[in-house]
Amino acid sequence: MIKVYLPELGENITKATISYWYQDEGASVIEGNDLVEVATDKATFNVPAPCSGTLVEILAHEADTVHPGDVLAVIEEDTVTGEGDEPEV
Amino acid sequence: MYTLHECRYLDAGFLDYPQALSLQKRILNSVIDGEASHTLISCQHPHIITLSRRTRKESILAGQQELEKCNVGIYCADRGGDATYHGPGQIVLYPIFDLRKKEKDLHLYLRRLEETVICALRDNFGLNAYRKSGFTGVWVGPYKVVSIGIGVRHWVTYHGLALNVKTDKSFFSLIKPCGLDVKMASINDFFDDDVSIESVRDMLVKSFCEVFELRMTEV
Repeated sequence: MIKVYLPELGENITKATISYWYQDEGASVIEGNDLVEVATDKATFNVPAPCSGTLVEILAHEADTVHPGDVLAVIEEDTVTGEGDEPEV
Repeated sequence: MYTLHECRYLDAGFLDYPQALSLQKRILNSVIDGEASHTLISCQHPHIITLSRRTRKESILAGQQELEKCNVGIYCADRGGDATYHGPGQIVLYPIFDLRKKEKDLHLYLRRLEETVICALRDNFGLNAYRKSGFTGVWVGPYKVVSIGIGVRHWVTYHGLALNVKTDKSFFSLIKPCGLDVKMASINDFFDDDVSIESVRDMLVKSFCEVFELRMTEV
């Protein structure tokens, strides 16, 4: 499980508001694609998915106030299965 | 030796708001992918009111009929801030600025946008332009002259600032600009002689380069 954190946005920015989730819980997400938009007074900031996988849990919902370092969501990372990992039948 | 970062400059002239946004997003993706350097776009828009996702209903004062009568559309954009008006006589700057090459600090970036306008108005027009603590924007006397709202993807900025040069301010009465009870003014209001939009645009671009320590190349 990979946690999605709100990064530090800058000096004096101690909080932001969740403004928009691009994906719902249970959706597949792709590393680097926009996952959630947060808003400060005059800026929107898109937090990208840190890995590809399934968005298993959203912990901060639209209109919630969040702080740098807060966990916004949890992603179950895709596992790459090589030929040698195929289960024997 | 200290080298200035390169910044491409594009004067897009008179451009519809959605077209300008598409242009910004194309350049934004190139900058995010490292295929283009910082890029500054300047333009003017036809009459339009733009909102952000967090704009409250109370920020739009006019009803649908009045908006139609004034021939003003509404566009909900993916930027920060609240309601604003764009129209002829207003210079808009859209910096597609790669904060990964400077400081990853939205607060500092917004202050530098304000500084761009403050320096341009002070050094070229002798206007005592200033910030107000706790508010983003630039004021001259009791009037607000600039609206600022940005978006950031992968630490690259888009959207930007709009400076009223000779804007028809009656359109601001359709909204609560930036969600504030504030009076807007144009640069032209402070002078007897006509101020040219082109000269203000060029001064703003020059000031942007100085504040952000950039070397400009026109494209």
